[in-house]
Amino acid sequence: MYLLPKLGAPYQKILTKHEANKRIMKLRPGFSVILASSKTRLLTLSRYPGELLIDIITPIVFALIPILIGKASAGSGAETIFARNTGTENYISYMLIGSCIFSIVFFAFWNVAYWLRSEMETGTIEALYLSPSHRIWVAGGISLYSLIRSIFSAAIAYILGSFLFGVNPFQGNIVLALLFIIIGIIPLYGMTLIFGAMVLRVKQANTLVNLMQWIVSFLMGVFFPIAMLPAFLRVLALLFPPTWMNIGARASILGIEYFFTEWYLDLAVLWGFTIFAPLFGYWAFRSAENKIRSNEGVGTF
Amino acid sequence: MSGTVCVERLSKSYIVRHRKGLFHSQKRIVEALKDVSFEVHPGEILGLLGPNGAGKTTLIKILTTLLLPSSGDAWINGYHVQVNENEVRASVGCMLMGERGLYWKLTGQENLEYFGALYHLKPTARRRRAEEIISLLDLNDICNRPVESYSSGQKMLLAFGKALVNDSSLLILDEPTNTLDVPTASQLRAIVRDLNKQGKTIIYTTHIMSEAEMLCDRVAIIDYGNLLAIGSVADLKSSLKRNQVIQIQGTISDEAISALRLLPMVLQATAATVNGKNKLTVVVGEKREALSTIIATLLENGASLQTIYQEQPSLEDVFIAKTGRTLSEDTYKA
Repeated sequence: MYLLPKLGAPYQKILTKHEANKRIMKLRPGFSVILASSKTRLLTLSRYPGELLIDIITPIVFALIPILIGKASAGSGAETIFARNTGTENYISYMLIGSCIFSIVFFAFWNVAYWLRSEMETGTIEALYLSPSHRIWVAGGISLYSLIRSIFSAAIAYILGSFLFGVNPFQGNIVLALLFIIIGIIPLYGMTLIFGAMVLRVKQANTLVNLMQWIVSFLMGVFFPIAMLPAFLRVLALLFPPTWMNIGARASILGIEYFFTEWYLDLAVLWGFTIFAPLFGYWAFRSAENKIRSNEGVGTF
Repeated sequence: MSGTVCVERLSKSYIVRHRKGLFHSQKRIVEALKDVSFEVHPGEILGLLGPNGAGKTTLIKILTTLLLPSSGDAWINGYHVQVNENEVRASVGCMLMGERGLYWKLTGQENLEYFGALYHLKPTARRRRAEEIISLLDLNDICNRPVESYSSGQKMLLAFGKALVNDSSLLILDEPTNTLDVPTASQLRAIVRDLNKQGKTIIYTTHIMSEAEMLCDRVAIIDYGNLLAIGSVADLKSSLKRNQVIQIQGTISDEAISALRLLPMVLQATAATVNGKNKLTVVVGEKREALSTIIATLLENGASLQTIYQEQPSLEDVFIAKTGRTLSEDTYKA
């Protein structure tokens, strides 16, 4: 509740809620906080050098399992059967692309969840809330850090994996694939705010991240085309922005069909999510914060 | 109302769950703050005195916008804590949670620079400010080491330094000398005094009486969420007339103390153990009539008395008179 000043109170600096929010969201200092927050995370990462290596290996291992299962169960006709369902015989690249995009998506959820959780556990979350920087800017810094880390490791994993499995990493329209990924990142990080709001509320990250791992890989169609999903799940998958990143990137690289046949129509859908997902994410995060602050505060974990 | 901090009828209650076994829990409403009003004048050090769980930290968390009050208003430097959250945060330097508010994998310098960024200082300004704070707190030798390698006292000093990053006119320090050794605690108190001389207003919570007495211009006593008294240390002491406080040392059983509390002239009777012996502080309405009755009651209940004397009332006596117990007893244990 925003209280009005009492009659006779000498304090005339009371701003309306709107004016206060305008000040909070000032862009220039906001970007400075984004840069400082991502730098802080990168500095912390530099104190755990082994983590980057694991980041690179994970998507390759993730793709390896379905590739080997496919080879083992379908035998020599694997490519033909796969092409019938997906439009491409190159199932190795198909899996590898899905796996690398999945690692970008999963990393985004993982990083935001564990950022909040670790700030809660170490007590630094209250220090963040004591500062005049809006948490959205700090979250932006975490997202930038997560993006740098995941794009870097996914790109290396894709190239390394392609050489390892003997496929050409530079086939198809790579630029268009990157465009799908870059545009998809905006709604993706909007969604991570919703996820962050859940972590703030339930004060748990592990269970949520584990659950998310399966939901994300399932809805995105990491190992299969979403056309194979039952109708109601297909609708859910299409409401999930990373699915469109995956479809777009695969279609651009492997030359298979886009969902709406033309690439720009698929991209337009992603643009739509770009507007709604961050707004909805901001609203969810802000609501969770206010709910917590009106009870026991952000410091309890 | 013209203070740096103005608090008007502030109350805070929240829900806690009492767990009963695996699946059952019971909701309970905790009234952490009840209708608290006071002001902090520009340039003063106000001590918030109260045992653990008294409501001090809740009050500070509301003043620093970490918590929303259930009712009432508060202004910091003229900004309302609910309407102008951001302005309030920008105009306060706060030390809460001690060493827990730091990034342990970063160095001291990196920590201060990051918090400088959160307060919107430009990169050169935040570097310079970090260096100034490091120099002030004499942390030059360790400032490029990760905080995880610091001693507990060094971490507390750095956490205190974090409160100075934005060079605000109001500092809110929540038990800053907790876990510090004696020399470091007195170093920190000296810095607090200097900052106050430079014109900073300071709210200082503590449960160490001597610290409050030494440092604070005024003291507010909080217990069970109520503001029981506020005033200068001298005023609070003079509110207890000299002949109202009697100190008794000896071997005194709980039964004897309970019997004493039943006497109509005894306002408060609180025991503490000093050097293995009971020290009983008795606050009475009129000493002359009461003294013989008190002695007789204690002896009848098996007490062995060694000394009976009267001291200048201390802040501890004021606290006992207001709350009925010593500061060492937690609110929710008492």
